[in-house]
Amino acid sequence: MMMPNTEITKDMFAPADIDHSVSEKIGRRSVSVWKDALRRFVQNKGALISMILLTIIIVAALVSPHFSKYGIDDQDLNRVNLPPKITALSWIPLFSGKEGGVDVYKQNGIKQDFWFGTDSLGRDLWTRTWSGTQISLFIALIAALVDLFIGVVYGGISGYFGTTVDNILQRIVEVIMGIPNLVWIILLILVMKPGLFAITVAILATNWVTMSRIVRGEMMKLKNQEFVLASRTLGASNGRIIFRHLIPNSLGMIIVNTMFSVPNAIFFEAFLSFIGLGIRQPQASLGSLINTGYQQLQIHPYQTLYPGLIISLLLICFNIMGDGLRDAFDPKLRR
Amino acid sequence: MVRYILKRVGYMLVTFYVVITLTFLSMKLLPGTPFKTANRLTPQQLNQLRHYYGLDQPIPVQYVHYLWNFIHGDLGGSFQYGMQPVTQFLLQRFPVSLELGVEAMIAGTILGILLGIVAGIYRARFLDWGTMTFSVIGISIPSFIFAGILQYAFAVNVQLFPVAGWSGPMSHVLPATSLAIGVLALVARFMRTEMVEVLNQDYIVTAQAKGLTTSAVVFRHAIRNALIPIITVIGPLTAAVVTGSLVVENIFAIPGIGSQFVDSIVTNDYPMIMGTTEVYAGMFIITIFIVDILYGVIDPRIRVSGGQTS
Repeated sequence: MMMPNTEITKDMFAPADIDHSVSEKIGRRSVSVWKDALRRFVQNKGALISMILLTIIIVAALVSPHFSKYGIDDQDLNRVNLPPKITALSWIPLFSGKEGGVDVYKQNGIKQDFWFGTDSLGRDLWTRTWSGTQISLFIALIAALVDLFIGVVYGGISGYFGTTVDNILQRIVEVIMGIPNLVWIILLILVMKPGLFAITVAILATNWVTMSRIVRGEMMKLKNQEFVLASRTLGASNGRIIFRHLIPNSLGMIIVNTMFSVPNAIFFEAFLSFIGLGIRQPQASLGSLINTGYQQLQIHPYQTLYPGLIISLLLICFNIMGDGLRDAFDPKLRR
Repeated sequence: MVRYILKRVGYMLVTFYVVITLTFLSMKLLPGTPFKTANRLTPQQLNQLRHYYGLDQPIPVQYVHYLWNFIHGDLGGSFQYGMQPVTQFLLQRFPVSLELGVEAMIAGTILGILLGIVAGIYRARFLDWGTMTFSVIGISIPSFIFAGILQYAFAVNVQLFPVAGWSGPMSHVLPATSLAIGVLALVARFMRTEMVEVLNQDYIVTAQAKGLTTSAVVFRHAIRNALIPIITVIGPLTAAVVTGSLVVENIFAIPGIGSQFVDSIVTNDYPMIMGTTEVYAGMFIITIFIVDILYGVIDPRIRVSGGQTS
């Protein structure tokens, strides 16, 4: 029997070069924290829908008042308490311009449409509701800026320097936190005249405290890590370490917390306007619109409906988006 | 423990003192005079009035007077009701607000805990999803919107409950519910988080491993441990209920200090505003104090580290 020539000889083998760079190679594209967060955020349907809704509300608030030829304070007693009417959609009962089966528009001989109706002074609620939304959004912007500029800097300094500086800054925070927000805001608004300016100052004074505490905690956690030591060894100044290393590293927390303090501020403005400490006539805010609407709730519920709907949507969307961002940045915190 | 309590009492008194001083200062910073008919009075008459009310004295003297009166329970007279003492109004109206607030807190907390437990057990299922959606809505929508919806639906449309007022148990249902929804939502969410966390602990696995039934694990081990941190939300909850009660009392015309407060804002009744603010501040500060003490009792680590909750 002939054996096939299968003898294995040494020269059939060659040493494989061990290439360390190959074994260290990352096969997949690298995913940064931000990309990872974005991926998780996009997967969260609720958060994505909220973001789209918010965008729609923001665009609508900025653009809509221009669709109506009436200003926020154009009164006309001939067109008092008209229900909403959109001719193109008049088959929907909500937009038919009828109230109790009577076409109020025909009754009063009014040709134009009022998309959200008019109030008891004949002012166009479309214009008023959307300019009220603008105020809510302005408050949201202020709250976010206060958080980012005062809260982050205060907490950053307090947490980074520690010891005496921290002690002094934290005693101040304790006094501010010991007194409830409501009391601070009421005192501030009583001293100033109620209005948008007073509310802005009240938010300036109170809104940053939570943020400063969170940033302080982050700073204390991060400042003893190696990369900070390395940076300091290379001669980086304190300011550079805080603003280039520590704050970017806690940016996730900062963004998430901002997203939660914004709806809070929006709520407070609406609440203050509702009890008469906020935006005053003839200016309109969602809170004050709801308050005036309530006086007519039993007869003309539509006057409360739209401002109520918009503020509810705003707050729900901000909260869901905040939840989504928190889950995206730190899945461990998922609740 | 005694030292800890004393320290907390000290903090509480200091904070309250700061509030009183701030209210006094803001009263002094207010523009205009407190006399309605000031422009019809001669300078002499005005001076007489100022002298009568002690307003011609230097501010430090007025401040001492103010503190002295405050300690003796005299908060001044209400402009709105012909200088009748503010204290009397507050004493009369506070119990109503307290009743409403306590009803809302109890109903909201109990239902919230139940919902949270159910959601925590059935995690990532329909019940959980439903509870959490409801909770986000409950947290987001302000209580004055709920109050309006409830009033319109159950008092105007279907006349089950009285539209407004505060007489008999039926009139409590709607306002207490509109305040309780927020509480419920917050507690449910918090309770769910705690349940999920506790159910992942090793001792739960141990309990299951030694053959306990699911209900025994849940009731004897999980719920008990999950309930403790609920104490931390009492502070924010009180704040939410007080803020909510301001508007809810107004919407349902309930004779509590909330609606009194809103009235006094509209009529610029400064002594009343100040008195109410002080009552609110006092209530908050006492609540925070109680929460801190309770937490110190439950969790000894907090006592040691100097009572920094949050």
